[in-house]
Order: sequence, then C-alpha cells, then structure tokens
Amino acid sequence: MSIIEVANLRKTYGSTVAVDDVSFHVEEGEIFGILGPNGAGKTTTVECIEGLRRPDDGTIRVLGLDPTRDRLELRLKVGAQLQESELPEKLSVREALELYASFYPDPADPQVLMTELGLAGKADTKFGKLSGGQRQRLSIALALIGNPSVAVLDELTTGLDPQARRDTWQLVENIRARGVTIVLVTHLMDEAQRLCDRLAVIDAGRVVAVDSPAGLVDRVSDEMRVAFRPSAPLDVSILADLPEVTEVSRNGEHVVVTGTGDLLYPLVTTLAAHDVAAVELRTEHANLEDAFVTLTGRSFDEEPTAA
Amino acid sequence: MSTLTTITGVEAKLFLRDATAAIMTFALPVGLLAIFGSIGMGEGADAQNVPESFVPVMALSLAVAMLGLSVLPTVLGTYREKGILRRLSVTPVNPVNVLSAQLLVNLGAAVVSSAVVLVLAATAFGLGSPQNIPAFVVGFALTAAALFSIGLLVSALAPSGKSATSIGMLLFFPSMFFAGVWTPGELMPDWAEPVREVSPLGAGMEAMQDAWDGGWGGAANLVALVVAVLVAGSLGARFFRWE
Repeated sequence: MSIIEVANLRKTYGSTVAVDDVSFHVEEGEIFGILGPNGAGKTTTVECIEGLRRPDDGTIRVLGLDPTRDRLELRLKVGAQLQESELPEKLSVREALELYASFYPDPADPQVLMTELGLAGKADTKFGKLSGGQRQRLSIALALIGNPSVAVLDELTTGLDPQARRDTWQLVENIRARGVTIVLVTHLMDEAQRLCDRLAVIDAGRVVAVDSPAGLVDRVSDEMRVAFRPSAPLDVSILADLPEVTEVSRNGEHVVVTGTGDLLYPLVTTLAAHDVAAVELRTEHANLEDAFVTLTGRSFDEEPTAA
Repeated sequence: MSTLTTITGVEAKLFLRDATAAIMTFALPVGLLAIFGSIGMGEGADAQNVPESFVPVMALSLAVAMLGLSVLPTVLGTYREKGILRRLSVTPVNPVNVLSAQLLVNLGAAVVSSAVVLVLAATAFGLGSPQNIPAFVVGFALTAAALFSIGLLVSALAPSGKSATSIGMLLFFPSMFFAGVWTPGELMPDWAEPVREVSPLGAGMEAMQDAWDGGWGGAANLVALVVAVLVAGSLGARFFRWE
C-alpha cells in the first residue's frame, strides 16, 4: 500500500491557480522528490499533505488518513520541516527539542537526535546564534522528534553552502535508513538526482512526469556523447559503421561520437582492435535539466507562465 | 496539562531573557513609585489633591498596560511573522496552548510586578495598602483581562511584530493620558474625565483606587472593563491568524 496518495489535487488562491491537477503516490521507505521551478506549486502541494491547507478539490491520503479530517492523528505520524520557519531567538537547541518532544506521546530522545545531527556541541546555543546549516539541522531534528513514519522536507538546503548541502544530503540518507519515508521538495536538480528514488516533476501546478531520476532522463533521451583524443591517427569511418553510433565529428584533435544505448563498450573495443587508445575520454549524458526542458518545453529558470 | 506547563515554562524563560520586557515590567513601575513616592506625591493633602492610592495604582497599571499593549502583541506578532506559530501548527500541540502560555506568562509578570509595587508602597513609602482586597483583586483581574484582550486584538490585526509594537504604542500613550497618568486628580481637563471613566486603563485605575479606599469600583468602570474584555477578546480570537 502507498504511504501517500494524492489524486487530482487542486488549490487556488483567489484567481491564482497554485496547484492545478496533481496526482502521485509515495511508497514506504522511499525518498520521493517533488521537483519544479519556483512557483510551480510544490510547497502548496506538500502543505495540503501536511494538513496546513485545505485542498479545493481532489483527495489526499497519508497513511490512510485524510489530512483535513484527521489532523491530530496525522500530526503524530508526519514530521514536517517548513520553508522559512524560525524559532524564538533566545531558545536554545536543547530547549527547542525538549519542548517539541513534549508534544508527542512517544518522542525520540533529544540527546540522541542532537548527537546524530551533529548538534551536541550546540545544545546550549540560542537559535539566534546558529549558522544556516545548524538551523537546518535543528529543523530536521524537530521534524524527527516525534518519531514520525513520514518526514516532509521543504527546500531543505536552500541558502546552504556546498559543503553544508552535501552534509545535509548525507543526513537525509541516514534518516531514510531508519525506515522513515521522506518527501523532499526541491528546485535543485543535483539534489533531486542525488537523493530521490523517484520524483514528480511539477510545472505550473501540474505533474509533468513521475519516475526515477534515471528513468526521467531516459524518457527524454537515451543519447550519449563520447569525446576523446585518439592516441594514433584514426579513420573515423570505422566508428561511424557501428550500429550504436549516430554521428561522428572531429573537434580539433578530439573525436566526438554521438550514439544511443551502450555506446562505450563497442567504441572502446573497436578502437582497441585498431591499436588506438582513447585518451582524455569524457562522456556526456542528458541530465535532469535536459529532461525538464524536454518535458515542459521551456528552460528551468524561466518564470512559470500562468496556468 | 503537561504540554501547557512545558510551553509556559519555556515562554517564561524566554520572557526573562528579553531584557526590554523585564525592564518595562519590573524596573519602570518600581522606578516610578520610587520617584513619585520620594517627592511625596499622594502623602497627605498635597497641592494637587492627589490621593495616596494614585501612585501605586498608576505604577502597577502601567506595568499591566506595558505587558498587554506592548510585550504581548510584539511577541505574538513576531511569532507569527517568523513562522513560529505555523511550525507549531504542524505538531500535535493545539496552538491555543501557545496563546494560553503567553497570557499566563504575562499575567504572572503582571502579578509579580504589582506585588512588588504594593509591598514597596506600603513599607517604603507609607502609602498604605488596598482596604478592600476582594474589590482590588477584581479590579486588577479585569484591568489585566481588558488590556491583554486588546493586546491579543492588536496582535491579530498587525501584519508583523514591528507593526504590532507600533500599534501597541499608539494605544499606550492615549491610554495613559485618559487614565490620568500625566494629569492626576483635578489636573485632568473636564472633557477627558468621561473618557477616563470608560477607557480600559482609566476605568481599571479608578476601580483599583476605589478598592484602595475600601469601596468597590463604580458600575461604569466595571461594565466598561467587562465590555472591553468581551469585545476585544472575541474580535481578537475571531481574527487571530496563525500565519
């Protein structure tokens, strides 16, 4: 059974359609990404899942619960990390965790969580004195303090430096390893690619595709490009004759081979048969960003057009 | 029960860590009492005909007004602005507990501050003490309830913590004027006196001053306070937004 089921979700604010028609399901134990540009309706979607907003239309079930009707039960089982939510300036890390622990019947041990999230040394530091990365780790800790089955993390690494971002990704993988199902909202391609088992690509309030990151990329293009410098003079026609190859061109000293499927193996063996080694070999695949452009017909950074 | 206790404990700590709130609540009324008490205001029949109940009641009312019109709306406005209330609303805790904890902490501060003022007034400055204690407690409770309700309404309507502070201050100064803080006794202009009778701070001070002299607050005072609690409280609860 799916942990989360969203069917034909719709939410408008006045005349603005934030979520037009969104459907997906999240399976137990996976990291499910919701990827899309700013304003695509990602946050509104998860806020409906968290019970913060009431959908105009459609149905949502989280662990079999209706987020609007079964608010309290939902809150016991779903941990949330919200975008742009702070804590009182003068509240310490330990106090925050102990306070939030008191809200749940069977909370995690604040001390253990602090250690796991690298906050033990900051236990008595006030929220106002924490760095961006420390604040994010505390907000993850607060999302986990109730021992939830599902954690919803919204724009987890926005504003973090690259190192803090990588550390946070590692934390998310650790959380999943504890058996927590994770819904991750992000507009970062590399974050989605690195963390998510599956993801829903959302654009202008609609789901464009739901698949694994690799599946999404394959869906738009299984094309691959290999560039290398041959160690000896090479007649490129021997490569052009390979069934996997669609195009061969020269770029200065380099040969660029474009093809589909498992291009690399036949390419290298063919070269080896002619006693040529491929030096400075680089491969290029289509990535999530290419997939997004192909799926939506526009660049990821453009402002979304009104639905 | 235990959740409310925990939140109240944490909020009390945060209150004490905020130097501004602590100074306004404790140092200001005690300082006023010391200044006016030491120049002899209210002792015997002085030139302004100020009764001895005026200075201590004014000092403690000022603390209550500061808490209700400044501290409470600022904290709640900031909590909403920074998403603290919103974050709490995705936990199993009922956000009403957060409001209750705030009210309890501010009420506690008002009681402690007033108790200090009363003890000092009686012991250090010879201004006596309330003769009708039940009437004084009722007057104090109604004053606190009225001003806290207004503070709740301010925090419900203000878009941010800063604007809550500004609106609170805009209400605070006229309240002080109509309560006669700057123009005690006979010095208050005639036209302002009817307003004093029904303005929350003025009505509250009159009720407590009457109790000081052994009586009960006038019906107009008490009704005005109850109306303020009901109107501001229900509007505040009606319009309060968590985000």
